Amino acid sequence: MTRDEIRDIILEIIEDIDEDAEFDDLDADQPLRDQLDLDSMDFLDIVMELRKRYKLQIPEEDYPELATLTSCVNYLEPKLQDV
Amino acid sequence: MADYQLIIIGGGLSGLAAGIRSARFGQKTLIVEQHSLPGGLNSYYYRQGYLLETGLHAMTNFAAQGNKHAPLNRLFRQLKLSRKKFITHEQLGSEVIFPQTSLRFSNDFTLLCEEIACQFPASIDQFRAMAAEIDAYNPFAEVPWQSARNFLHDRLADPLLEDMLLLPLMVYGNAEEYDMDLGQFAIMFRAVFLEGFFRPQGTIKDLIDMLLEQYSQFEGEIRFRTPVAEILKKENKVQGIRLENGEEITANAVLSTVGIPGTAKLSGWELDIDRYIGRMTFMESISMLPEPQLPPELSGRTILFYSLNDELKYHCPASALDPSWGVICFPDNFQDLATEDKTATQVRVTNAANYSLWQQAAVDKEQYRQLKEKCGQQSAAAVSQILGPYNQDAVFQDSFTPMTIERFTEKRGGAVYGSPIKIKSGRTPFENLFIAGTDQGYLGIVGAMLSGVTVVNQHLLG
Repeated sequence: MTRDEIRDIILEIIEDIDEDAEFDDLDADQPLRDQLDLDSMDFLDIVMELRKRYKLQIPEEDYPELATLTSCVNYLEPKLQDV
Repeated sequence: MADYQLIIIGGGLSGLAAGIRSARFGQKTLIVEQHSLPGGLNSYYYRQGYLLETGLHAMTNFAAQGNKHAPLNRLFRQLKLSRKKFITHEQLGSEVIFPQTSLRFSNDFTLLCEEIACQFPASIDQFRAMAAEIDAYNPFAEVPWQSARNFLHDRLADPLLEDMLLLPLMVYGNAEEYDMDLGQFAIMFRAVFLEGFFRPQGTIKDLIDMLLEQYSQFEGEIRFRTPVAEILKKENKVQGIRLENGEEITANAVLSTVGIPGTAKLSGWELDIDRYIGRMTFMESISMLPEPQLPPELSGRTILFYSLNDELKYHCPASALDPSWGVICFPDNFQDLATEDKTATQVRVTNAANYSLWQQAAVDKEQYRQLKEKCGQQSAAAVSQILGPYNQDAVFQDSFTPMTIERFTEKRGGAVYGSPIKIKSGRTPFENLFIAGTDQGYLGIVGAMLSGVTVVNQHLLG
């Protein structure tokens, strides 16, 4: 998967989790949590959805890697390169 | 390989929410429910053409759509249900009535503040400070029991105001007698005073049907009329369940929503069961009135919490029923409810009851019927002191007692709020057996569902 594809997947998952999500002013380098007003239960859903879709196991100590959109893409790029 | 990744015992609201959460991420999940209808304590039945709800007066934890951190809206996201499509009706307004004074409140917290400023001017500043303190408090931390009464008295130092605030919070969720754990008090204070009452559009059946549909969308399975005889174990691990019909079903983990006493009985979990059986149980009488004549100052109220004594007697009564305090609910009095096609107005009255005395009477059908009739009359006489002779021309009356509650909800002793001791972690002595629901410590309908969600998130998404 390309970086753009991974980015779109993340946004699609968030949109699926939160029907009120707005991405118009989203800054890819700022924490998703603050900008989208999400909590830890929502982040668990992002992790679970990635696991369901791509059989990807993300250990709890890696959750901080998912803080911003850019860091998500950086973290997932090697893991999803063959998908 | 086990038959299921997760078996959930009980198709009440916590079990359904847990099931959705588990099935959503592809886990093979089975819910077993002993009755023919789902919902547990919050179910429904049909009588003389009316669909009557069993537990619901109002849902607590009202939150407008868009308030992302509110429990109600977090719950909807977790269950992948659309909050936009979930239509709610807020309460018109409620009132706590004591002999000398009363306090009105609504989903706008300023009304309660104004009422307190007017009735208890010396305490209003302390009350505001206390509300801010409760708002910042974390009720889910696993801390030792603390007295809500002491907390209130330290801050307000006015026993009448303290009891008036405690009445709605206790009667809608407190499993203990006399006092309440501070964490539970904080949960209830937010749910009732800071967030408020509402009803979903339609009836509880619509809400339950929505949950069932979502569960089956995720390919979750549910079996009704399927009582469990035993939770099967091998050493410290649970292997699955054996049904009353003898069938055995294996699972990687079991989540029980039948309370601590019920779970202990099924699993052989050794504990002092009596400590986990709550003593607060209730009788509820439902009347359908064609043209209710209510005092004008009380018409249009959603819920009245009354005490005919200056002190709140929140404990198991010495007689079968204590009509001297209770709840009077008008389920039709919510905003924007269509009332044109209603032929009668519903009034529900709830009073504390003594389980042991009901149990003794229930050995004889006629004795039980007589007690039910006598207690219904006592309750109506007490309520008439507040409402006037409200139910003389009732077209229909029905009531349920601690025995009804126990039979239909699996809550021992008819204790609607379950065990006075909660297990917040959801853990049991068996590594893959967990509990969710009332005995895990979340309260109300939204709370029960969040309990199911939280326990699955913490322990069962592995």
